[in-house]
Amino acid sequence: MSAKNNATVAEKTAKLDELVAWFDSDNFELEQAIEKFKEAEKLAEEIEHDLSELKNTITVVKQKFDGAR
Amino acid sequence: MEKASLQFSVSDFIALTNQTLEFAYPSVEVEGEVSSFKVNQGKYVFFDLKDAGGSVGCFMTVYQLRVPIEDGMKVIVTATPKLTPWGKFSLTVRAIRPSGEGSLKKSFELLRAKLEKEGLFADERKRTLPRQPRRVAVISSTQAAGYADFIKIVNDRWGGLQIDVAHVQVQGADAPDQIIRALNYFNEREELPEVIVIIRGGGSADDLSAFNDEALVREIAGSRVPTLVGVGHEVDVSLADMVADVRAATPSNAAQILVPDREEIIRATRRHVQSLLPRAERAVDRQAELVRNKLVACLDTVNRRLQYDVDRLAGLRRVLAELDPNKVLARGYALVRGDITPGGTVEIEKSDILITAEVRNVSKK
Repeated sequence: MSAKNNATVAEKTAKLDELVAWFDSDNFELEQAIEKFKEAEKLAEEIEHDLSELKNTITVVKQKFDGAR
Repeated sequence: MEKASLQFSVSDFIALTNQTLEFAYPSVEVEGEVSSFKVNQGKYVFFDLKDAGGSVGCFMTVYQLRVPIEDGMKVIVTATPKLTPWGKFSLTVRAIRPSGEGSLKKSFELLRAKLEKEGLFADERKRTLPRQPRRVAVISSTQAAGYADFIKIVNDRWGGLQIDVAHVQVQGADAPDQIIRALNYFNEREELPEVIVIIRGGGSADDLSAFNDEALVREIAGSRVPTLVGVGHEVDVSLADMVADVRAATPSNAAQILVPDREEIIRATRRHVQSLLPRAERAVDRQAELVRNKLVACLDTVNRRLQYDVDRLAGLRRVLAELDPNKVLARGYALVRGDITPGGTVEIEKSDILITAEVRNVSKK
C-alpha cells in the first residue's frame, strides 16, 4: 500500500468515482473544477502507483489434511 | 510319512484364516461389475462383484458409499478380504469408485439428478464474490500445474491479497476427504476468508472423479464462505463446479474471475481522469453560451426599444409634414399678413408669388 495514504485501492477508486460524478452533477461549479480535477489526477496517480507496487502474500498453511494425527 | 494336520476349532480356524488374509492382503483393489446391489435397514450395503470368471460378495456401510452405484456398473473397490463367522468369504469394502468412462458417467448422472432434485445447483443459492477480495483461501495441490497457473495469473493481475493455501491431494480415494477437511478448516477460522477457491488442472475422467464425490459436493454447498471452483479443462464439468457459488472453466479462469486486472483498472482510471477535462471544457462552453444568450436577449430589448422610438418619430414627422404651411399654399391657398384695416397695406403670399395690396374694405362675414 502506498505510504502516502492509508486508504485502500478500492477506497481510492470509490473516491475517484465520486469526483468524476461531481463533474456531471448539479453541484458542479466552474470555480472548483480545476481543484477537483487536480485532486482526481493525484488520486489516479496514487491508484496506479499502489496497483503497480502491491504484492500478494501467499502462505501454505501448516495444518495437514491427510487425516493423520 | 504324512505331515500331521493342524487341528482347530471352527472359530479358531476362521480367526486364523482372517489373520492370514489380513497379513497377505491388508488392502486390495478389486475391479468388477456390480450385481445384486441392495441396502439393508438404510445402513448396510451388499452386492456382488463379478467378471466373466467369477463372483465375490461385498459388504460396506452406507456412510462409506460416496457415489451412486447400481447393478451393471463397473467399479473398483478398496477392501479387505474376510471370512465371516458363517463361513462365507466376502470383501469388506472401505471405498468404492466407478471405473471406466461408462460407469463414471452413469454415476455422475445419477448423483447430479439426485442433487438437482434437492436444489443444490439452483441459481438462488449462488452468492456473488467480492469484486476486490483481500483475504482468499485456496485448496489445491501446491505441486499441480493448475495451482502454478492460478498463482501466476493472480500475481500478474492483482496485488495486496493474503492467500492462504491448503495443500491437499486432488485425485485418488483420499482426495475428497482431504478437500473436505480443508474446507472445514477455512470455514472454522476466526477470521474467515472472503472466498474459498478450489482448483485442479486437467486430467482423465477418473482423475477428476474426486470432484464428483457426494460428501464433498454437499460440503461445498454448505460452505459459510462463498466458493469458486475451477477443475479440469474447459470441457470438463464436475458436480463440485456445479454446486459452487461461481464456476470457473479452468484454474487460470478462476484467477481471472477472482481478481480484476490491475492494468485494466489503471487504463480505466486514466480514461476516467482524461474524460474530466472535456467535461470541464463543456461546462465552460455551456456557461459562455449562457452569457452570450443573455447578451443577445439584452441587445434584442434595446433594438426593440430603438425601433419603437424610430417608428414613433416617423409618425410625428408625418403629422408635422401635414402641418407644413407651404403644403397648404401649394393647394392654392394664400397667406395674408399686414394691416387689415381699410387703407392699410397687406402682403399676400402664394406658393409661388408675393403680392402687396391695399385694403379697401373690411366687413364681417
